[in-house]
Amino acid sequence: MKDWFAGGRVLYPLIGLGLLLMFDFFFVPNFFQFEVRDGRLFGTVIDILNQGSKVMLLAIGMTLVIATGGVDLSVGSLMAVAGAVAAVLVTRSDLPVPVVCGVALGAVLLLGAFNGVLVSLVGIQPIVATLILMVAGRGVAMLLTDGQIVTFENEALVYIGNGAFLGLPFTLTLVLAVWGGALLLTRRTALGLFIETVGDNETAARFCGVPNRLVKTGVYCFSAVCAGVAGLIAASNIKAADSSRVGEMMELDAIFAVVVGGTALTGGRFTMAGSVTGALLIQTLTTTMVSLNVSPAIIPVPKAVVIVAVCLLQSDKFRAEIGRVLGRKAMA
Amino acid sequence: MSRFVPNARLVPLMATTLVLIVLFGFASMQYPGFASARVVANLFRDNAFLGITAIGMTFVILSGGIDLSVGGVLAFSTILIATLVGGHGWHPLAAISVGLLCGTFFGAVMGFLIQRYELPPFLVTLGGMFFARGLAFVISPESVGISHPFYDKVMEIGIPVGPKARLTAIALLWIGVVFVAIFVAHWTAFGRNVYALGGNEQSARLMGLPVGPTRVGVYALNGFCSALAGAVATFYMGSGNPSMGVGLELDAIASVVIGGTLLTGGSGFVAGTLVGVLILGTIQTVILFDGRLNSWWMRIAIGVLLLGFILLQRLLGRLTAARR
Amino acid sequence: MKSNRLMNQIGARLGLFTATTAAILWAGCGQQSKPVTGGPSASGGAPASTPGATKAGYTVGFAQVGAESSWRTAETDSIKGEAEQRGVTLKFSDAQGKQENQIKAVRGFIAQGVDAIILAPVVETGWEPVLKEAKQAGIPVVLVDRGLKVADESLYATLIASDFVAEGRMAAEWLVKKTGGKASIIELQGTPGAAPAIDRKKGFEEGLKEHVDMKIIASQSGDFRRSVGKEVAEALLKVHGTKVTAVYAHNDDMALGAIQAIEEAGRKPGVDVIVVSIDGVKGAFEAMVKGTLNCSVECSPLLGPLAFDAVEKALAGVELPKKTIVDDQVYDTTTAKDVIDSRKY
Repeated sequence: MKDWFAGGRVLYPLIGLGLLLMFDFFFVPNFFQFEVRDGRLFGTVIDILNQGSKVMLLAIGMTLVIATGGVDLSVGSLMAVAGAVAAVLVTRSDLPVPVVCGVALGAVLLLGAFNGVLVSLVGIQPIVATLILMVAGRGVAMLLTDGQIVTFENEALVYIGNGAFLGLPFTLTLVLAVWGGALLLTRRTALGLFIETVGDNETAARFCGVPNRLVKTGVYCFSAVCAGVAGLIAASNIKAADSSRVGEMMELDAIFAVVVGGTALTGGRFTMAGSVTGALLIQTLTTTMVSLNVSPAIIPVPKAVVIVAVCLLQSDKFRAEIGRVLGRKAMA
Repeated sequence: MSRFVPNARLVPLMATTLVLIVLFGFASMQYPGFASARVVANLFRDNAFLGITAIGMTFVILSGGIDLSVGGVLAFSTILIATLVGGHGWHPLAAISVGLLCGTFFGAVMGFLIQRYELPPFLVTLGGMFFARGLAFVISPESVGISHPFYDKVMEIGIPVGPKARLTAIALLWIGVVFVAIFVAHWTAFGRNVYALGGNEQSARLMGLPVGPTRVGVYALNGFCSALAGAVATFYMGSGNPSMGVGLELDAIASVVIGGTLLTGGSGFVAGTLVGVLILGTIQTVILFDGRLNSWWMRIAIGVLLLGFILLQRLLGRLTAARR
Repeated sequence: MKSNRLMNQIGARLGLFTATTAAILWAGCGQQSKPVTGGPSASGGAPASTPGATKAGYTVGFAQVGAESSWRTAETDSIKGEAEQRGVTLKFSDAQGKQENQIKAVRGFIAQGVDAIILAPVVETGWEPVLKEAKQAGIPVVLVDRGLKVADESLYATLIASDFVAEGRMAAEWLVKKTGGKASIIELQGTPGAAPAIDRKKGFEEGLKEHVDMKIIASQSGDFRRSVGKEVAEALLKVHGTKVTAVYAHNDDMALGAIQAIEEAGRKPGVDVIVVSIDGVKGAFEAMVKGTLNCSVECSPLLGPLAFDAVEKALAGVELPKKTIVDDQVYDTTTAKDVIDSRKY
């Protein structure tokens, strides 16, 4: 039934990413140039990894939500909340930065739990349940910052989005940490299986004794924390909390990354590696367009073409058809 | 209608309608001038294009799919019509026909890709959204005004429903589309096939229903509705605008789901979508009439109201179901 | 003082809000008792948000675009502050960047029978139908910060705005003078299709026309956002390397983002790369004092006093000029220090 990703679930987005990078190699000047300055690497590829960290984090969280058959539209707004809480606390109080980040993540965790409860206990359809916080969450963030862009200079907070760790952007360490944690939890415990069962067949899962409500609430909490970390990165990166604009439309990028990575929106089996690849694909695409100075108005068109092309690449039927056509040509 | 579906399935629809009445009644007590024919007429006029896209979206969701391209197709349709009429001197009816054809074709292509290659609708229509929006900007990056006697004539059409209130042509069109859609959903083979496809694709296939044509048809229909909504929008604003309808897909999906249709497909009503759109519109009007909330409180208020009414809807649904 | 007032407002609204929601939920549970709310509007009549608000005795609806930038919030504050000072009852609506919402707001204001409407149109076309309704209802409409393309100018009372094209031209002229007529420029555009983005691009290109050595080597959208401005500048600086000698941004936020990207690329913003932008928000002035931003062309959002002068004249039946252009100043590193303390936004 889900044969469009049977076999190489991660393979095909990877091929897509590879083709795009190959294109960049030939057509974008200085794309693969690296430079070491102040003990860290610089270059377009590094930028992609750094800027892409936000969507990667959102996509990791979103993967688990989608695996349970849900979706989380509120992630962009939750990014704004985390950024706003951190910026306000760091500028108006003397709290140490780890505490500030803790409070910010705690705040979004609560909001995530709210999403989870609406979905699992009240039984509201996920798209509408999370739509509530998508609208209201940004309001809360703007309320905290009084609708202004709150700038900060705190070095520790600025480090999150700009600092280097082992010569690479610190954001990468964060992504790997969250990803690793999620992998451990879902692949080394029964949790991953629970999530897939809930997504595949909720009734069956309940009869098998899977605590489906807890699992569902949990994945929304996790998604919210991922969004919170992404929000901290976004704020730290520009040394400011832009609560009215940060993360706008990013929920779509995240869902795109997950689905293109081979996790079906209908729930069930999931792959986080695929989602991360999808996130990198979308970021590489954006950077490519900008680097080639494609007119901003028509940027969406090539973007659409790549999206559909990657989809088709994943389709067994399409590959079979292409194979037939190529085979016929070879015969002639 | 109830002859064709079990009564219990009507519960969400009734709950939703009740919620709308409660909301409207409460706002009428709270704000002077709210309970007027004018406000109701405005509701139908201001939400006409959202309403029409939501109708198309209902069929897509009933079939178990989703379509993110509606905002893009709407924008493309408005700017295409405006450019043909304003820049090339076409008659509006000719321009609108071309717009409708383009929208339908666009939807059919997406449906074809989804059906033939078993691609996830989310991705294909996301691509469609970017593509249509990009094309809209290629036609004209700036909004284009329309001034044509035909437009003025259509704008004058309207049924007076009260003092200073009339149902305008676009409101009437929306209501007409709703009735046609109800008929299509419940009294035609296509409608039954859509429900069957969304309910269980394999069973539908085994029953020998035309799964492929139905799915392509659903997306083509939604493309048509989006383009029609675009045409309505040109009347609404007297112009075409490539950046119009950003985020419209979410409003449309929300209206459908608030209207009681399940995102998993196979269950729901076109009439519910009408009520869903009116609920969203009424929430907006309530906040407008209050007029004291600043930008951020307004967002929070919309969220809280949405939450309140969804909870209320669930509660009513459960109470009614329990009594049965 | 300001935050105090804000807290009070928040408190009052929160109170009203919880009461409203509670009442709605009650009503929903089938209790037919009349909801009693803490809100002042329960008594009927026009809602009055502040005591004594009915002093001037008229109500104005303000249809704002949104709260997408600090410039926009400053404009909203200016109009709200002026309304409060004059004792005008203000009905505020935030369209969240969507024209359709703004049209709904104007139509809603007409239905409520406000005395005048202030409109900050999000785009230039598409207003004729709703403005005709306002005219039929005898409600004057004052436009702020952006003009309209309408065939019939009698549809609005007056327009109070800055000239976006002129702003772009002033930025170009300043840059020509500063660089001696030779520069490789990266342009950071606003959101595609937005009127300020289109006009500021046009004005800038006009200003550069006669200077063949002033080259725009890349022009990309930064969506008026600081984060996107930084991301785009980052990518373009990698592609074009040290060729880049100037950055022109359609608003300050994008310029402030680009400045960070320039620093991270190991170059000195304001020295190696000249940065010019538009709006003149507080953050831009701080950057100019630091020397990282070279120049910002002011685009004043403080339109409240002018707007309400116009509203009062229109209500009194005085004929107004169709257009009032707000005089914009150019500030650079040399003049920013002297005025930064007097900046209100």
